[in-house]
Amino acid sequence: MALLVTLNGTQVRGRPGQTILELAQENGVDIPTLCHHADLSPLGACRVCVVEVEGSRTLVGSCHTPIADGMVIHTHSPKVLESRRVIVELLLASHSGVCYMCDKANMCELRKIAAELDVGLPRFQVRKHYYPLEDVSPYIARDLTKCIMCRRCVRACNEVAKHDVFAIAYRGFDSKIVVDFDQPIDKEVCRDCGVCIPFCPTGALSQPRETKTEKKGKPLVVTS
Amino acid sequence: MEVDFAKESEKITANYSRDSGNLIPILQEAQEKFGYLPAEAMQKIAKFLKLPESTIFGVSTFYAQFKLTPTGRTKIVVCRGTACHVRGGARILREIERRLGIKPGETTEDMEYSLETIACIGACALAPTMRIDNETYGQMTTKKVAEVVGVEAKAS
Repeated sequence: MALLVTLNGTQVRGRPGQTILELAQENGVDIPTLCHHADLSPLGACRVCVVEVEGSRTLVGSCHTPIADGMVIHTHSPKVLESRRVIVELLLASHSGVCYMCDKANMCELRKIAAELDVGLPRFQVRKHYYPLEDVSPYIARDLTKCIMCRRCVRACNEVAKHDVFAIAYRGFDSKIVVDFDQPIDKEVCRDCGVCIPFCPTGALSQPRETKTEKKGKPLVVTS
Repeated sequence: MEVDFAKESEKITANYSRDSGNLIPILQEAQEKFGYLPAEAMQKIAKFLKLPESTIFGVSTFYAQFKLTPTGRTKIVVCRGTACHVRGGARILREIERRLGIKPGETTEDMEYSLETIACIGACALAPTMRIDNETYGQMTTKKVAEVVGVEAKAS
């Protein structure tokens, strides 16, 4: 049984259980995504993929909303484009990284999306997180300062690697991805696996390498 | 008096099924018993419910009701809601902070008092309000704080 959906003014057919994002991809409509990953369960954490659905009070996340018969979807309406840009701007504002100092630079998905949506320096000046670089493990290096809380690593660890190393803890501004009882990653908790590293859209997770001595000093910690 | 947290936690979990929905009731009972959630207890609970330790930690740090460090015998909660704020709640809090020598979220060294703030007690007509254990005090003044908090002001 096919569902009839109006996608940007065109009638298209979709299957039950399909998400708006999947339908759009099938029909050649490009919706930017960040926390979404084809190999992981949909979550809807980053809100970058929001679209307008007629009759819906708010914009909906296309990566996790299943299509329904008669749905009228606008993926690039002015309202969607405006919201999407502000969302990316906010993500950039709380992301404490300087791109030209970052090893991930050209591979960073956040930076790529920002460039595509023409988002420059964010106009929001907000408090930022500064966490110490975790580089004791020979398998993985973690810099939570660059983390944007997309939870891809949590899902990759649970669903792909079938380990349960990561979880999200604390709340509000203080929330962050923790390992066990909020300890730095070391040999004990996370072994030779590295599954989560390619899933990280930013430079928060990376292959460990020689850290330059000037980076090894005491971390700058800003407390409230 | 040493408490065997692991053993005591097993006694608590024995009354529950291994359904992950029991996590919060178990954590509440453990906190009721120990006054806070020791790491050993959380490890046992994680094992019992077959949940990752990180998930238990995530839940226990998300909810304000769970404490990860020991708290004092007497719990003082000062309301920082809008009505209490307008009626001088900040002054009440400052007075208690001065008397106990601690900030909200901290415990005195002798483990007697813990100080916390709350977004609203729900007794706005009595603003400014505070609570000592389960006793609520309304229309507080700095003078009345001296009467209900039985600690001499720290030499400043």
